[in-house]
Amino acid sequence: MKFQIEDVTVYFLYDYIYPEQYSYMIELKRALDAKGHCLLEMPTGTGKTIALLSLITSYSLSKPETSIKLIYCTRTVHEMEKTLAELKLLHNYQIKHLGPQARLLAIGLSSRKNLCVNPTVLAAENRDSVDAGCRKLTASWVRAMAAENPNVPTCQFFENYERAASAAVLPPGVYTLQDLRMFGKEKGWCPYFLARHMVQFANVVVYSYQYLLDPKVAGIISKEMQKESVVVFDEAHNIDNVCIEALSVSVRRQTLEGATRNLNRISQEIDRFKATDASRLRAEYNRLVEGLALRGNLPITDNWLSNPALPDDILKEAVPGNIRRAEHFLHVLRRLVQYLRGRLDTENVEKESPVSFVASINSHAGIDQKTLKFCYDRLHSLMLTLEITDTDEFLHIQTICDFATLVGTYGRGFSIIIEPFDERMPHIPDPILQLSCHDASLAIKPVFDRFQSVVITSGTLSPIDLYPRLLNFHPVVSRSFTMSLTRDCICPMVLTRGSDQLPVSTKFDMRSDPGVVRNYGKLLLEMVSVVPDGTVCFFVSYSYMDGIINTWNDSGILKEIMQHKLVFIETQDVVETTLALDNYRKACDCGRGAVFFSVARGKVAEGIDFDRHYGRLVIMFGVPFQYTLGKILLARLEYLRDTFQIKEGDFLTFDALRQAAQCVGRVIRSKADYGMMIFADKRYSRHDKRSKLPSWILSHLRDVNLNLSTDMALHIAKEFLRKMAQPYEKIGGSGRKTLLSEEDLEKMGDGGMDEMLY
Amino acid sequence: MASTHVTKRAKYKTTIKDPGTPGTLRMTFEKILFVPHNPKSAGKLDVEFRYIKGKKHTKEGSNKPPWLNLTNNQNGSFIFEFENYSDLQECRDFVGKVLAKGGEVSEKPTVAYPDEQLSAAEMELRIKLLQEDSELQKLHKQFVLSGVLTETEFWATRKKLLDREASKKTKQRLGFKSAMISDIKPSTDGRTNKVTFNLTPEVILQIFAEKPAVHRAFLSYVPNKMSERTFWTKYFRAEYLHSTKNSIAAAAEAAEDEELAVFLKQDDILASEARKKIRRVDPTLDMEADEGDDYTHLPDHGILREGSKEMTESQNELYKRSLSQDINRHAAVVLEGRAVDVELEDTKAVAEALAVKTEIESSNKGESDGDTSRERLDRLSRMTEIEDLQGPNTLPLAPLCIKDPRDYFDSQQANALRSSGDALGEIEQIKCGLSTQEVYGSLRESISSIKAMGLKEPIVKPEVAHQVFDALTNSISNTKYHIGKNPQESVLDRLPRKTKEELLHHWTSILELLKHFWASYPITTTYLYVKVNRLKDAMSNIYPQLEEIKGSVPSELRHQVSLLVRPMHQALDAAIQHYEASMQKRSAQSGERPNGYV
Repeated sequence: MKFQIEDVTVYFLYDYIYPEQYSYMIELKRALDAKGHCLLEMPTGTGKTIALLSLITSYSLSKPETSIKLIYCTRTVHEMEKTLAELKLLHNYQIKHLGPQARLLAIGLSSRKNLCVNPTVLAAENRDSVDAGCRKLTASWVRAMAAENPNVPTCQFFENYERAASAAVLPPGVYTLQDLRMFGKEKGWCPYFLARHMVQFANVVVYSYQYLLDPKVAGIISKEMQKESVVVFDEAHNIDNVCIEALSVSVRRQTLEGATRNLNRISQEIDRFKATDASRLRAEYNRLVEGLALRGNLPITDNWLSNPALPDDILKEAVPGNIRRAEHFLHVLRRLVQYLRGRLDTENVEKESPVSFVASINSHAGIDQKTLKFCYDRLHSLMLTLEITDTDEFLHIQTICDFATLVGTYGRGFSIIIEPFDERMPHIPDPILQLSCHDASLAIKPVFDRFQSVVITSGTLSPIDLYPRLLNFHPVVSRSFTMSLTRDCICPMVLTRGSDQLPVSTKFDMRSDPGVVRNYGKLLLEMVSVVPDGTVCFFVSYSYMDGIINTWNDSGILKEIMQHKLVFIETQDVVETTLALDNYRKACDCGRGAVFFSVARGKVAEGIDFDRHYGRLVIMFGVPFQYTLGKILLARLEYLRDTFQIKEGDFLTFDALRQAAQCVGRVIRSKADYGMMIFADKRYSRHDKRSKLPSWILSHLRDVNLNLSTDMALHIAKEFLRKMAQPYEKIGGSGRKTLLSEEDLEKMGDGGMDEMLY
Repeated sequence: MASTHVTKRAKYKTTIKDPGTPGTLRMTFEKILFVPHNPKSAGKLDVEFRYIKGKKHTKEGSNKPPWLNLTNNQNGSFIFEFENYSDLQECRDFVGKVLAKGGEVSEKPTVAYPDEQLSAAEMELRIKLLQEDSELQKLHKQFVLSGVLTETEFWATRKKLLDREASKKTKQRLGFKSAMISDIKPSTDGRTNKVTFNLTPEVILQIFAEKPAVHRAFLSYVPNKMSERTFWTKYFRAEYLHSTKNSIAAAAEAAEDEELAVFLKQDDILASEARKKIRRVDPTLDMEADEGDDYTHLPDHGILREGSKEMTESQNELYKRSLSQDINRHAAVVLEGRAVDVELEDTKAVAEALAVKTEIESSNKGESDGDTSRERLDRLSRMTEIEDLQGPNTLPLAPLCIKDPRDYFDSQQANALRSSGDALGEIEQIKCGLSTQEVYGSLRESISSIKAMGLKEPIVKPEVAHQVFDALTNSISNTKYHIGKNPQESVLDRLPRKTKEELLHHWTSILELLKHFWASYPITTTYLYVKVNRLKDAMSNIYPQLEEIKGSVPSELRHQVSLLVRPMHQALDAAIQHYEASMQKRSAQSGERPNGYV
């Protein structure tokens, strides 16, 4: 369908549109018109992504004179693929109706690991080995060597790509990662470098958050994006955590040991070069005297991760004299590692500000702040000079240099915390030194400054006024949309008591109570016997989940659950979890039915949808509070209180509830879908906790469902499922329309619109 | 003696204790023929040799009489008592010769019906059907054994049942149990510390399927390196070590015993399989790909949270296996289903069959790599579409398959009651009075369309079928349920149990008779003529029985019973009327019979 929003003709893929999608587009358009940032909360399962894509592509089609680029950030690769697949459908539709003028180029960008097609490189296990494997074949000096000696292996795909030179372009179209790989294989071109190259020409770029937020990556990939771009952060409820993590580094004993090994290896290399090719080291020294010459003219394959500090904070001056010589720099690093090792040998928890830490380094190790700041760039330059290709071996020393650069650059918003052991396992010494960032606004500030429109959207941004404070920006539009429902297709419940009427909770003093564990088990057992297809359970942490599963296994509850459904569990091993999920879906598809045990704040909770028959019921066991005694959390809370006047309790509850809402929100995909949500903890019945849930859940949480026991919940579940299985009228009842056709939109016009929607 | 047959006097005994029927036994290469001296006695036997599987005989010198015992492949036996041992020997040698020559072993002799050669399997199937369905058994007893219908006639109307049963038998395979193998609990004798595990081939298959490393170890160790018993003892020793969750102890034991270490280590086959599988996983949940873009979780970047911090002693980690892993693996295996179809008797056979199967699978997977990427893309686009925003599209409906009509009507009762009000109005609108031309025209049309396109699948459009069922349900539930006060309770439920059962039984038996009755028309052969007469007699016998039921119920229920009985009466009346009319016609125009047309 197509329709007008003010002066823009919107091409929308489907025959019908939800009213909230329509108003979402209107708000989004206002933000684009105002060239400002916006914050939009819309429930999951109302088609945010397609609404966004439709509006922004249509907007740029209607204004051909300005070239608006869409930078769409997702949290996960599969969301990226999904977004691109959706865009592909939309693009085909627009081509059909508009002809060739609607053509655009949209690409997904990911790491070598996900884009490489060279089988020898791809055989490596993790990202860093793939990167290193690629560098071994494509680094400029390797290729120079191969030109002389045909026995030096190179990558055929990259060579072909280089040979094609400017002819190597992607024709317009939408390319998922899979498409890119297929295109690359077909043409014999390296898809990774092709995609990297095409980023500057693409109308739509879809990539991970970190490509924009993490200065290490953004420095190389997102440098050349123009200001007119529209940046979208989808599923952005955790964006503050991403920002914080992007600027945090931690150092452990293993890191220091690895760094020492790396330094030894570097010193060997230096000796070797001195003996064979001393001119190279001298050339580097001269370059460093002239300033930081290694930027700009670097071949694309030699790029490494960029400086961990934000671009505005990086000093544009020459490297200090005391580290220009490779040996001197090596000495500095050895002293730094030695100093850090000394700091790790502590008996007590220590907390320090970066300023005093730098002062202490200066007095004990004789390294001044400016030198620290340049550590990263100096290391990078040295590694290039030494022609080191197996970069995956040098991650430890890189970590140390990241740490040094960050600690030398930032005076506030950070703290350094040294813990001799994990508080929950005090008998195991595991010292750790963490540089943790407390201020989410630091990392995202360059994004807000550089781009004229930044859209932050998610299903859970409640309370919506907190995000501008956390991220320190001023949105021109900030709205939370409710969901117009044809029928009550979600059924949230708060379960406070078990079948024996005793309260259930994961509160610290209650969580290991066998009664609570048993009641939780009974709840699940009862539910799996009535709920068809898929059921998902979220626990507050891995350790709690492990404990409870073991107890259920010993008491035979697990065995009884298995009589009804197959059981799959999220583990810390990503490969295993992915396979478990795949099997879970298969079990739901074939009708066997399955339960998936997962962890709030885990990877599954963040990115996997349990829509339709993949999730008819979600049970959230407990309130997923952060570990409140964690020193880093305490430091962050203190910072938030002092800087943004956000109360500790408020922030903790907000954080726990957004995680809970995120977990349960994954069951709904569209209005034809339905699902139940059980919050199994007595604390959810308290108003101060509950009110932090997003409004679209709250509006369906009826008062009678606020204080249930297992048997009552079971009864409600049975009723709900029976009701939902009946056929229903999609368009909605007589009063409010929940599905709008093209005619409806035309009829509404500008004036009538609001009364129809609200 | 190279003759082609042997003839001896003998006594035929059905069991050992049977005194035996004296007669003549004649054996040819094809068959064994026993004719009793007394033509009236029942022991006549005519068995083809191909049914005979083996022979036994008593030894000379033992104090038993000279018996020859021929066993057929149904484990039945025919015992012949000879007059002396030399006769026995002659016959025995002959049988031996024939058996050696024939060699091939096949079906059982047909016992009852000379007109129909039934295979043993078919016979068995029929017996099984009768055993499973008591109603069918009752009918069978009532009609076949009493001679109203012949066996063939009875089953002829149930060919479909036979077919379906036969095909189902090959299709359905048993899956794995949902219980975990770690649930195998040992039994103790209570006095010593010894525990005993009971391993069935079933369990062993499951262990092999869930733990490929154990499977591989079994194939390579047993029986060359150790006996099967030691193998399993070691296995359970390892399992015990796991259950203690003491990874240090496990590591220590593993260091001493390298075979034990195989069980304790992480399964390397699984790990490599996982790496292969991850490539073909659904792209919408491929979390492994995320690691590629995750730069905050470079080693030691980002904030270490609860959970990401593990207490690992790298060396002993090798021997740590979590319960979650076991559960995931178990569920995956159950989902895959049983891979092998061998008779579970010998563990060695099980192990080898499984090995062959996995080999085939892995080679198949290699070929289908191209398809998977296509499939992944399809899957992705399916996951992205929002279905209710799309215009209405007609979904393909699954054709309805009703096993027992009564289930269907019972379940429809509630619906019918609810919609009876408005549905009645609709029914009247259906045009009933069609002229002959119209009917003929529509019939021709549909025949020509079938000729042109063949039969559609499903033959009847789902909407039409639904409409018909709706109408049917409506009228049926009207009579059956409207009388009851409570909609959940039908009239039948209020009758005494015995009456209810009798009524239902009569109803089915009347249906059976009528089916055969109407199927016999037009009468073209004398066989059918006889059959119709037989059926008519049987039907007229039902009248008094129905009356009897009516009489036996208490007076307050009599009205309802008579309501229920009335349709039966009507159906019977119609049949008998038709019978009489046709009889009259036959006698009237006995001279010229227009091609059997009645």
